[in-house]
Amino acid sequence: MRVPLSWLKDFIELPTADVEEITYAFDMLGLTVDGVENLDIGWSGVVVGRVIDVAAHPDADKIRVCQVDSGSGPEQIICGAWNFDAGATVAVAKPGALLPGDFEITRRTIRGVDSNGMICSEAELGLGEDHSGILVLDGNPEIGVDFAELVELPDVVFDLDVTPNRPDALSMIGVARDLGAYFDIDHHVPPVELTTVKGATDIAVQIEDAVGCRRFTAREIRGVKMGTSPLKVRHRLHKVGTRAISNVVDATNYVMFELGHPLHAFDADSIAGGRLTIRRAQDGETIVTLDGEERELVPEDLIIYDDDGPTSMSGTMGGARSEVSASTTRVLMEAASWDPPTIMRMWRRHDLRSEAATRFERGVDPELADIANKRASALVAEWAGGEVLEGAVDEHPTPVSPAHVTLSLGEVERLLGPGFEADGVTRILERLGMEVKGSEPMEVTVPTFRPDVTRPADLIEEVARVHGFDKFGASLPTGPAGGLTPAQRRERTLRSTLASIGLDQAVNLPFVGEDDVAVFGAEELLEVKNPLSDEEAKLRPTLLPGLLRSVRYNISHGVSSVGLFETGKVFFTDPDPMDSRLPRQVDRLGWVVAGKVGPQMIGSAAQDADGAVSLALWRRLADALGLRDYSLTPAAPAGYHPGRTAEVTVAGKAVGFVGELSPRAARSFDLEGRVAAAELDMSPLVAPVAPVEMAAPSPYPHVDFDLSFLMERDKTVDAILAATKEAAGSLLERAVVFDEFTPEELGENKAVAIRYRLRAPDKTLTNEEVAPVREAMIAAASDIGAKLRGL
Amino acid sequence: MDPVSALSQAVEAAPAVVAAASTLDELNDAESSLLGKESAVGQVRRSMGELEPSMRPTVGAKLNEATQAIESLLSSRRSELDAAEEERRLRAEAIDVTLEAISLPIGSLNLVQQTIDEVVDIFVGLGYQVAEGPEAELAWYNFDALNTPANHPSRWENDTMYLDWGDPEDEVLMRAHTSPVQARWMEQNEPPTFIVVPGRCYRLDTIDATHLPVFHQIEGLAVDTDIQFGDLKGTLLHFAKEFFGAQSEVRLRPHFFPFTEPSAELDVSCFNCDGGEPGCRVCGGAGWIELLGCGMVDPNVFEAVGYDPAQVTGFAFGVGPERLAQVRHGIDSLRYFIENDVRFLRQF
Repeated sequence: MRVPLSWLKDFIELPTADVEEITYAFDMLGLTVDGVENLDIGWSGVVVGRVIDVAAHPDADKIRVCQVDSGSGPEQIICGAWNFDAGATVAVAKPGALLPGDFEITRRTIRGVDSNGMICSEAELGLGEDHSGILVLDGNPEIGVDFAELVELPDVVFDLDVTPNRPDALSMIGVARDLGAYFDIDHHVPPVELTTVKGATDIAVQIEDAVGCRRFTAREIRGVKMGTSPLKVRHRLHKVGTRAISNVVDATNYVMFELGHPLHAFDADSIAGGRLTIRRAQDGETIVTLDGEERELVPEDLIIYDDDGPTSMSGTMGGARSEVSASTTRVLMEAASWDPPTIMRMWRRHDLRSEAATRFERGVDPELADIANKRASALVAEWAGGEVLEGAVDEHPTPVSPAHVTLSLGEVERLLGPGFEADGVTRILERLGMEVKGSEPMEVTVPTFRPDVTRPADLIEEVARVHGFDKFGASLPTGPAGGLTPAQRRERTLRSTLASIGLDQAVNLPFVGEDDVAVFGAEELLEVKNPLSDEEAKLRPTLLPGLLRSVRYNISHGVSSVGLFETGKVFFTDPDPMDSRLPRQVDRLGWVVAGKVGPQMIGSAAQDADGAVSLALWRRLADALGLRDYSLTPAAPAGYHPGRTAEVTVAGKAVGFVGELSPRAARSFDLEGRVAAAELDMSPLVAPVAPVEMAAPSPYPHVDFDLSFLMERDKTVDAILAATKEAAGSLLERAVVFDEFTPEELGENKAVAIRYRLRAPDKTLTNEEVAPVREAMIAAASDIGAKLRGL
Repeated sequence: MDPVSALSQAVEAAPAVVAAASTLDELNDAESSLLGKESAVGQVRRSMGELEPSMRPTVGAKLNEATQAIESLLSSRRSELDAAEEERRLRAEAIDVTLEAISLPIGSLNLVQQTIDEVVDIFVGLGYQVAEGPEAELAWYNFDALNTPANHPSRWENDTMYLDWGDPEDEVLMRAHTSPVQARWMEQNEPPTFIVVPGRCYRLDTIDATHLPVFHQIEGLAVDTDIQFGDLKGTLLHFAKEFFGAQSEVRLRPHFFPFTEPSAELDVSCFNCDGGEPGCRVCGGAGWIELLGCGMVDPNVFEAVGYDPAQVTGFAFGVGPERLAQVRHGIDSLRYFIENDVRFLRQF
């Protein structure tokens, strides 16, 4: 809310005029200052003058010769406007005055007649759009005073961000009350003085929805003369960001900003049947609102009807049909209190965020309704003439009563720390409009304009807020035993290992469309009920589409080799084992690598990111995580290359797949060439592993020998290694495959060359000891179909 | 010539011969010519048997002396030549050190991950544990347990993503903050509770420079029998100093959140300028950076999770790692955090 300092001064005399100090006070009160606007005077040398005489110009018929007294006797000024006569009070720019646009006023002669200045219009002063005539001043200001005083310039406007729990702070008086508490000074709320005449309005009001409408007050003003509101009022409204419209409408807005209670003025003669009914809308009904828009109503909308149908959208915007207009003479002033959620949903549904809705959605004090009504009616009578009828409508189906809260000082200190006294706490609460009885405990009565305060904790917040958050000390409590769990530590190892071997960690949005995942064979997807778009309507059952899109993004930006990994959740439609009320969600690790990988040497070709690279990444990761008990089995789910992918089993449990994407899957993400990919469940990877028991390195010499085998292409190297290792027994120190090839002459077979190293822990091996081991290994290989091949 | 004179002569001639060798091969030749079978020394050695027994000790001693003298010459020359040879080889092997001839793979942890890890480490140092929880979450944990009124706009379908799943009684949504994890934790664990909860959150926001539908949050929660407002301030001050530097100061401003009372926003003093420098890229001249929301845990939250608000008090805060990274690194758009452009990722 925009708060001009000038308006605030109606209710409080601040101890400082320093803008920074006031800004700080607002910030400390939680009325966060989003901006401060300094409104300067856009002119100099403009004073209030009275037109003493107006005469025709001897030589021109569109302009007149005026005698104007601006404090030092009559001066002759030529004026082209006709909207005034002798006796009018006007704004006079005297010779030497400077108007907006560096327009200097000088003495000049117009068609032979001297003119000593200019009578100004609002537009000429940069105050408004009105060019239609000069500004005729209301309120009988003193001749000769600086015109800037009349429009309260210079001025400062604070733009406050008021939190949703503070309906009261969306008003000048509410803001003044908070400042009064902060500076520990009084603020004053002038009493409403309303003069009425005998008689009662004959407009009947019926509330059919007592939940939606908490109170409805209506007061009739007869004999109203529509026109403009006073200059000061128009400019105050302008400063808070609202257009001045007419004396009647301005009165409703003025009171809304002053007291915080929105109002609506009906043209009483336009209320069909002389009867207003408040109820929910019915399907198919429409209303044309004040802004000229036709709106289709839905059954939850809360509407004011007359005999011809919907005539006002309660709490958000009035209807065009019963709007006050230039011809209005009978006004029905409405001040009603509406159910906050109803208004909140209604304005959002119709995209109608009005000043009224902004207040009602927070909860406007129903106790304020009739006060606001009286104040606005009095202003209409003052600004537009007319008489206010004594008999008014006040339907109050659901009265609210003030909250009574018991507060002990101990409770305050338990939350805020020591140093508070009952006197100080009482003083703070009283400044905020609360009534406090007793001291231990304090019996606090909370005014109805603070619906957010109902419990001791709420009062303590008020105490803390006014005491000043900046006055609290700082202490540092520590927990009993912190730290990451073993799995959390291992997750960090996992991520830093992948980053250290050349992958970049991606974070993808976890949404997919059906097309993204079809290639991976995903069928049932978890659906978002209210998605942002169709492409983001489903939650990912696999990390791969996101990674592939990001790889593609990089390639299309000229990064030809990309390796990305991601850790995150994937989602399924069956119940989660941890909480069956939720869909199953699993933490996964995925990677996708395209282009070239590994150490690169100038002048030599780098390795393509393929299934073998994926497997190398896995082995490196498994080593970093200390996973020894794992196996790789040729197997590929949908989307993977059937011959270049392995299923990974850790501690006997299948955890996912590592390998290469199928060419079709790669193409569906616009990727050419080979693409390494993997996706694994996280929890088995990061589950703690048993500590390794040390094997003492043997001090004795080793024996190396090579064996080359011929085997069927679909047999795995792992099978030979396992068979030969078992045959070699404890003497085998290591076995490294150093060649694997498939020459044409071998047909369906492949050749695998392995270097074995034997070493005994307790002696130097002799040839006689090695030979039988070697024979046993060859025999074991032969048993699984791998024949020894001459080296 | 008598053997002793021959040896003397050989020793006298040796330095010139040794010095003349300019390579290791030439030095080997020099060695043969000085100490080999056909050399003067060699001949004396061979003729020792033919000498009179009385001569043998004298000649023998002279022979040893001569051999040692020559060997010493050879040895020192060999060292010289070795060093020269080594130097020659090293010079020949020089590479252009400015040329990246071999590049080892370089990867990176995501900036958001790095930020989360850093924040988590700061709080782990204060005795906090790290809690995690589901992203598809019950509305009860996301809203009700956190004292969010039934009609609060954050519950509406234009703010929060709901899932088409399960029993309509147990409405499931994509969590809008990581705070539901604090409720789950407190249900399972007795106080004292000191946890941080990093994780992903979801809101129905269209992607632009300042909005993402999926982002991260680190929630912090401290509950004990005697947690006070100053503890919140002190904890966040410690965090600010650790994260932004020891010069950091913080200020709390009152704010509103359903789950805390009092609620506050935390500003940290600008680390980029000395405060209030006009046009500062970080604070815009304000001197303060708006950082996070926090407050004392609302008693209703304690009641919802089975803690007794008469026995315990606590504070909670929620900070966005994306926001922290933006502030620190001058990242002007949130889009970078989801594009996964390695040209962005590798900068950090």
